[in-house]
Amino acid sequence: MSHAKYNVINTHVHNIDGVAKVTGRATYTFDVKLPGMLYGKILRSPHAHAKIKNIDTSAAMALPGVKIVVTGKDTLGVKQGIWRRYEELCDEQVLPLEKVRYIGEPVAAVAAITEEIAEAALDLIEVDYEVLPAVYEPLEAIKKEAPTIHEGVERNVNVTRHIEWGDVDEAFEEADYIREDWFKCSGQAHMCMETRAAVSSFTPDGKLTCWASTQSAYYTQGLLAGVLGLREGDVRVLAPYVGGGFGGKFELDAAMFTSAVMSMKLFKPVKVCFTREEDFIASKRRTPMFYYVRTGIKKDGTFCARESRMFSNGGAYTGMGATALYLSGFFHSFPYKWRGYRYDGYRVYTNTLPSTSMRGFGAPQAMFCSEQQIDWICADLGLDPFEVRRKNGHTEGYEVPGQAFIQSCGLEQCINEIEKWVKSKGKLPANRGIGISSCGFMSGGIFNWFDSPYSFSSAVVTINVDGTVELHVGCQDIGQGSNTTMAIIAAETLGVKVEDIRVHSGDTAHCPADLGAWGSRQTLMAGNAVKMACEDAKKQLLEFAYAEMGINIVYDLDIKDRWAHIVARPERGLPYVDLVKKALRAKDGQRIMGRGYYTPHRKGMISPAYSYMMQAVDAEIDPETGKIKIHEVMTAHDCGQPINQLGLIGQLEGAASMALGYAYLEDMPMEDGKLMNPNLVDYKVIKAPEMPEAGIIEIDTFEPEGPYGAKEAGEGLTNPTAAALGNAIYNAMGIQMKELPITPERVLKALREKKEQEAQK
Amino acid sequence: MINDFHYLKPASLKEALAMYAEHDDCKVICGGQSLLIVMRQGMVAPEYLLDIKHVKELSYIKFDEKDGLRIGATTTHREIEKSDIIAKKYPVLVAMEEKLASIQTRNWGTIGGNLAHADPAGDPGPVLIALNAEIKFGNSGGEKLVPLDEFFVDYFETQMEQGDLVLEVHVPAPEPKFGCAYQKFNLLDSDMGIVAAAASVTLNADGTCKDVRIVLGNAGPIPLRVTKAEDLLKGKKLDDALFAEAGTIASEECMPVADIHASEEHRRHVLGVLTKRMLKKAFEQAQTAA
Ligand SMILES: Cc1cc2nc3c(=O)[nH]c(=O)nc-3n(C[C@H](O)[C@H](O)[C@H](O)COP(=O)(O)OP(=O)(O)OC[C@H]3O[C@@H](n4cnc5c(N)ncnc54)[C@H](O)[C@@H]3O)c2cc1C
Repeated sequence: MSHAKYNVINTHVHNIDGVAKVTGRATYTFDVKLPGMLYGKILRSPHAHAKIKNIDTSAAMALPGVKIVVTGKDTLGVKQGIWRRYEELCDEQVLPLEKVRYIGEPVAAVAAITEEIAEAALDLIEVDYEVLPAVYEPLEAIKKEAPTIHEGVERNVNVTRHIEWGDVDEAFEEADYIREDWFKCSGQAHMCMETRAAVSSFTPDGKLTCWASTQSAYYTQGLLAGVLGLREGDVRVLAPYVGGGFGGKFELDAAMFTSAVMSMKLFKPVKVCFTREEDFIASKRRTPMFYYVRTGIKKDGTFCARESRMFSNGGAYTGMGATALYLSGFFHSFPYKWRGYRYDGYRVYTNTLPSTSMRGFGAPQAMFCSEQQIDWICADLGLDPFEVRRKNGHTEGYEVPGQAFIQSCGLEQCINEIEKWVKSKGKLPANRGIGISSCGFMSGGIFNWFDSPYSFSSAVVTINVDGTVELHVGCQDIGQGSNTTMAIIAAETLGVKVEDIRVHSGDTAHCPADLGAWGSRQTLMAGNAVKMACEDAKKQLLEFAYAEMGINIVYDLDIKDRWAHIVARPERGLPYVDLVKKALRAKDGQRIMGRGYYTPHRKGMISPAYSYMMQAVDAEIDPETGKIKIHEVMTAHDCGQPINQLGLIGQLEGAASMALGYAYLEDMPMEDGKLMNPNLVDYKVIKAPEMPEAGIIEIDTFEPEGPYGAKEAGEGLTNPTAAALGNAIYNAMGIQMKELPITPERVLKALREKKEQEAQK
Repeated sequence: MINDFHYLKPASLKEALAMYAEHDDCKVICGGQSLLIVMRQGMVAPEYLLDIKHVKELSYIKFDEKDGLRIGATTTHREIEKSDIIAKKYPVLVAMEEKLASIQTRNWGTIGGNLAHADPAGDPGPVLIALNAEIKFGNSGGEKLVPLDEFFVDYFETQMEQGDLVLEVHVPAPEPKFGCAYQKFNLLDSDMGIVAAAASVTLNADGTCKDVRIVLGNAGPIPLRVTKAEDLLKGKKLDDALFAEAGTIASEECMPVADIHASEEHRRHVLGVLTKRMLKKAFEQAQTAA
């Protein structure tokens, strides 16, 4: 399928929120200040596992300036979770009644007239704990003798997932070579610039307004209503500007919950903002995973079968972890055709910070294991890693048995482009290597564990008398630029300019429901809804144009660049603004309004469309200290039709920095369940001086399911990097890195072991 | 949270010293880059803060061919980094400053504050000791000049007593056939060193080693001289084998403490590697120097 010529799509559009942000005018939840507002603080558990025997709040209540102290007993005690359809997975009381299950878990909250007083009051709350034996690692927690973390959950197994297709055993029989490896993938903090924050205001009319730093205003609304015993419609959630989410901000968090509970008791606005330390120790994290991978292959490089087992550290609660368990197993098969594939995933509760979704949703871990093992197999058998990936890669029209149907796929071109790029580098100096990794990702999930009766995405477009456009969407801009993306799609569809569009989002009272910003869903799903709404509005306008111009109905009309015209005779037409005015009069003054929605149907189990990519990382290792220097990252990327080149570059660079951080810097070491680096001095994220060049080669494809052919771009880009760095190190030094992050010490250890092995030979 | 305090803002050095003598529970603040961190953590909670950032008399960089370099205590890292004369005469100082924290921190942080803070992971300490620097400090009663080498006493502790201010750092004029190099090992370029090593080498006319200094950063409670390795090298014709041996001695003599960023074993190993490399680099500079 070919692309039409576009006026706005695929140009360099600056973020429509950019000026407000760089001039400090953008109002984040952190900036919200209401008359009479109180400040809340949360008391957190110092124990990894303990019974709460008694909480004495009297001394804290007596402190002048303190207005309220609440514990679990002051709440409805609802066990909540974002997997609303499945009661057994709703396992988290935000203020627990019986016991605490990780260090940092909230046990009480205070609201006072200043933050300082609230903080001082925390020290006056006396909690009587009975400390229980705790367990921190999934492979320990799954043992028979391990302490029980949730009553009735055998062996602490929270969720299991089985994915299988083909005759796996028979396919292994056909293999000439089988390789097995164990891998250990670490956790990672979401590290949003804006920490968790909420301001709740409950008024005597029984209605709650909550400003929240959330990835989905609609989910927050539903979850809050559930735990507070309110009707969804009586809860209005506002997500003004949001300083990042990365998968960590669409569950109910303690800022939202405690501020709402206290506001309901006081009829006063209450604000709760996490400190950076709280954000580290108590806001969930990327899921740490142990992977066992067994792969069978023929001598000629044809993949036969793969069988994998994965044990993930779920931490204390389910959160979005159940989805990560599934997606990790699914994308572990990507982007290849397996005759037989089997995955068994076990999510195990431990007494640690819960794990959840984070950009890539389980796939970066899965790819770290899969893509390195493929390179090692190629080396074992003397095969070319590019050739093997090309030979087994997904192609257009491929069906992942029982799971997914691939409509557009530019994987082969991605591989070809990166192969060219790598070859152009010629021979590298000593201790330097380029590693490759390919993968794919979903464009929105077909999951509805939240049990939303609304369509997955919706949009409403209204046209003002002067031709300006109000676009109401439920999708959430969390810094990734979705408002800009939606403005571009609206401008293209209506035939106007980006500056004609005002985007309204992040307000459940004024915007239509939408599942929000997660799972790389908004460009495709909300984009389709916006396109449909704008087509609806445009059709209404063109009806008047037909009448006004008095033309033969066999002609097609369209609007481009604010000019309504006959498609075959573009010079014949009238200005769009005139058309809007006429239409308004003709409609007895009613504004033109278009509605659009999108819900995937008959698109498999996972997603309506998949992005593809191959990435190369060029890295150098100091053989004496183990220090890693990244020279360059190059990605060939098929995201269908790019909507905004600038947005795409931003996503690529952001993903590269996050995924490189995961690969060699970021870690969450714990001692007896206590996080050892809950600050930005000890938690290492890539800063400007370390950021390598990150280039992108766009592969032209057209996705029939996406608006104007678009697919996801941004989340999938975090998937290949850790594996590509591992492969670069393998190519440079001949060592296999099976544990994340790849630290200098681990590099040196591997080098030593390699030397010892060579000496033995 | 930072405690409430009284803020003192002296206009001159004299006034600063007088105010400092007058107030007991008083802390000096200059750039605040180190102090504010410990205050926010509640580890330091003084009643008075004496802000010397605006004491202009202490902000200067002076150089004289005979006397060498004098840097006033409130001179910022950024001013040192951007000084033409320092770039020309002591390039190792500029190279060190360029990797000290971020530009924002270098714009605020001062050399006096850095040395007074006495963090064994600080960058200027080892380099200045390798350059044979002295430090001048004093109070309303008088001044003292001591080799920087002797200034540091323990973790975050110096010879200074309550009421003392760092006044000046003095670096002697470079000798002929002199070289000095410094490198820290870290994961992020702008981070404090996990460990670091500075080395300076002065050669005799016949190419033998006249003097050598080896100073390790974050390898113990203070910037650590490795005299055993220095003694090995003095008077000898230097070569790679000797540098490697010196590195081995350094990795044995150091006293690094493990934390989440690196084990003790790894720290010792890297200190050995850095020592070897910095000696070689300083030696090569000395060979080509006038
Ligand atoms: C993010 C960050 C990264 C950093 N990275 C590095 C690094 O890589 N390498 C490095 O070496 N440093 C680093 N630092 C430390 C910092 O850059 C400063 O060099 C220095 O430690 C403080 O200087 P200051 O003027 O800000 O001192 P302040 O913070 O104002 O004071 C520090 C201490 O010295 C005392 N003091 C200050 N001036 C005097 C004086 N004239 N006389 C007596 N006492 C005095 C104060 O009372 C206090 O105890 C970093 C700091 C930050 C915030």
